[in-house]
Amino acid sequence: MSLFWIVVRQLAEIEAMAASKKVIPREVWERKLNNVKIRKEDMNKLVMNFLVTEGFVEAAEKFCKESGTEPDIDLATITDRMAVKKAVQSGNVEDAIEKVNDLNPEILDTNPQLFFHLQQQRLIELIRNGKVEEALEFAQEELAPRGEENQSFLEELERTVALLAFEDISNCPVGELLDISQRLKTASEVNAAILTSQSHEKDPKLPSLLKMLIWAQNQLAEKASFPRINDITTAALEDPV
Amino acid sequence: MPASRPSSDQILHRLSSSEYEIKLKAIREVKNQIIGNRTKKLSYIKLGVVPAVADALAEANADSDNGANLIVQSTAVIGSFACGVDEGVRAVLDAGAFPHLIRLLSVADEKVVDAAARSLRMIYQSKLAPKFEFNKEENMDFLLSLLRSENENLTGLGAGIVIHSCETRDEQNILCHAGSLEKLVGGLDGSMSQRDASLESIATILKNNPGAVSKFVELQNGRALRSVIELTRDRFSRTRLLACLCLICIKNSSSCFLQDIAIKTKLIYILLELLDDSGQVGEEASFAFSSLVAGKEDLQKLAFEANAIDKFYNHLQNPELNSKRLEGIFLALGDLCSKLECCRSRFMSLQVLNLLINALTHDEANVRTAACICLKTVSRSIKNLSAGYFMNERIVIPLVRLLSDLCTSVQVAALGAISNIVVDFTPNKSTIIQCGGIKELVHLTKSMDSSLRLNAVWSLRNMIFLADKMCKEAIFMELTASSVATLICDPEPSVQEQALALVRNFVDGCMDCVEFAFAENGIILDAVGRQLKKSPRIEIIIQGMYAVSNIASGNEFHKEAIMQMIFPQAESGPQSFLSQYLQSNDSRLRTSAAWIIVNLTAPASPGAFGRIAKLRNFGLVAQIKRMASDPCMDVKLRARVALGQIISFGDS
Repeated sequence: MSLFWIVVRQLAEIEAMAASKKVIPREVWERKLNNVKIRKEDMNKLVMNFLVTEGFVEAAEKFCKESGTEPDIDLATITDRMAVKKAVQSGNVEDAIEKVNDLNPEILDTNPQLFFHLQQQRLIELIRNGKVEEALEFAQEELAPRGEENQSFLEELERTVALLAFEDISNCPVGELLDISQRLKTASEVNAAILTSQSHEKDPKLPSLLKMLIWAQNQLAEKASFPRINDITTAALEDPV
Repeated sequence: MPASRPSSDQILHRLSSSEYEIKLKAIREVKNQIIGNRTKKLSYIKLGVVPAVADALAEANADSDNGANLIVQSTAVIGSFACGVDEGVRAVLDAGAFPHLIRLLSVADEKVVDAAARSLRMIYQSKLAPKFEFNKEENMDFLLSLLRSENENLTGLGAGIVIHSCETRDEQNILCHAGSLEKLVGGLDGSMSQRDASLESIATILKNNPGAVSKFVELQNGRALRSVIELTRDRFSRTRLLACLCLICIKNSSSCFLQDIAIKTKLIYILLELLDDSGQVGEEASFAFSSLVAGKEDLQKLAFEANAIDKFYNHLQNPELNSKRLEGIFLALGDLCSKLECCRSRFMSLQVLNLLINALTHDEANVRTAACICLKTVSRSIKNLSAGYFMNERIVIPLVRLLSDLCTSVQVAALGAISNIVVDFTPNKSTIIQCGGIKELVHLTKSMDSSLRLNAVWSLRNMIFLADKMCKEAIFMELTASSVATLICDPEPSVQEQALALVRNFVDGCMDCVEFAFAENGIILDAVGRQLKKSPRIEIIIQGMYAVSNIASGNEFHKEAIMQMIFPQAESGPQSFLSQYLQSNDSRLRTSAAWIIVNLTAPASPGAFGRIAKLRNFGLVAQIKRMASDPCMDVKLRARVALGQIISFGDS
């Protein structure tokens, strides 16, 4: 082999070494993880935050008793909030509106978008139940004035009223408004508004932490090979392939 | 389905029912109908529902369960009527509900207290709410008890009262001395709504009040200030904005606070970022930005380096911007371009001017005003003026149209812009003449509104600056000598000053132009002379003196007329105004007086010798001699020129 080729080969090897990632073996990784300290109370608070935000009121009460973790909100308000959410999810929008107003009359008075979406949901329910005349009257009396105040409301109103024009809803281009997911969307909007009015975060902390975990793993994977968690439900460390 | 339009038949009847269940149901029905629904609020108000609910509130007994229920529901109804609808606030106040709500704040039932505090807070969000008198001791005790409370609704109400009613410096000081800042600072660690309420009321107390600001920055060894700075990084955009507003109040009160460049830069970046908020916060961010950079060159520079102009431009390109946003952005751009040429040239190179021209014809008066104010500062540029960017039909025609706008603030702003763009350093001002601009301007010099008169005269003054004789003649014909004389004696001193400056520019330049002062039997010259003899204001006198000096540069006849004005009586008499102003403490005034002597003694004119003799008799030559060593360079130079001319006729 000529000297030239030897040099070329050596260069190629150096380059390969540079490109290969650092490998962190499982025992080293586990040792590193063991050195990170997490306080038990912090874990409990995270769990409580999840239960409270998601509205698992009975579980929160039990958890409070068993772990001694105080919720950061009056648990009674969770029951009220869940009742509102449930009412929207089952199509009783008028009932939901009354419940929100009992909880705090400011919420719908100061949040025109949410108020419009609730009224829109009411209209959708009327159409779903085939009450065409009532739906038209409701759209005219209740929703049209909101449309005059706001261009984007008007567009949404037009889309909703278009539901009436189709005999066969399955063929209707705006049919998704009748979908159950529309109710869930409205319900979660109300839920978030109530939480905000109670000065509470509208999302639980746990999902953000898990998102952060996945993102951090991806970042690290570009530089190193390490045992990572792929299934967050088991949190099992999987060796790199 | 509930009746969608309220009908008078039932509801009023049921609201006044003696049966608890019927009454409660009726009140709840009204509540659920009106919350969030402006149209319903208005129609129920018309129907007379508000007094009926207020009666229900007044009659209910807070000590019984039923009574408490009625109170909570009717209070919610009253709060909702007052929310966002001025007619509602008025109806609630007229119905006498206000004192009942105040009374309910001190009952035992917490639900009732919460409901009453909420409704009062709604009322205090309106300008129509009654003014809270801070100077009454019992009122301050009440307010402090609110701010001290553990109940968030009560502290929120306290903050709302401060935000609504604290307007004057005296009121700020009362609040400050009573320790309200300390109480409000406590809320900075609280919930989102507490933080926001605290920040806004702190800003209200600090605004334009250096004393209150000094107290605040020293509070808790600066911890309060650090908390506010920390809140500029809050997750909620509204909180970030309010924290910025607080810091702007501190910064604007005295240049010695928040000097750190890092903080200034941070404020600029945060406010620019808040512009992206699609709601009210985004609207208000540009107004906050304006107050941050207005009049401050260092901050304008930092904002320029942060690409603020590009950022505002990007926002302006959104065709769906509402009028409040447009107004805020043009005002911000206006402040940004008020001092630095680099900002103006970036503005021009991005062609923001095209968007500004569209805004000149916007439906909303505030947008038109803001566009004019922005045009005024952008055209404060010799480079842009000389390039002729503004003196064209696309700009001049809509601007002249705005001179007859129905809204005075638009007219004033348009005059401001015209004042600048007519200084285009070219003698030809035909564009503005052709589109009827002069007629409009002259018309406005006769307005009842003094700010319109002032700015109209100012525009004309600038327009004839270095203008050719044709242009001056066109304006003079329209304006007439007697009107100029009237303006010189206007009741408003600022108008007098501009009118004299106008005369100064009229008679500047060629010999023919001096004749303007002699039209209609010298009515203008008489008016100038009267002001010089009696006005106590230096700015006015300086303009008048230069007008006289310009006339004195004319022919023999003109010079003699000025001599007549200076020495009206025979050889002796009271000291002339010229002699008095030659000895003024103000060097600008001494300069203008020396100029008059220079022009009267110009050796080329045949009567110079006689005039020198007269000046000598009145002791003015001796005065000029003393001024040859004046501490002010300008005065010294003019005095020496005059002296040289006098000596050339022989110093006897």
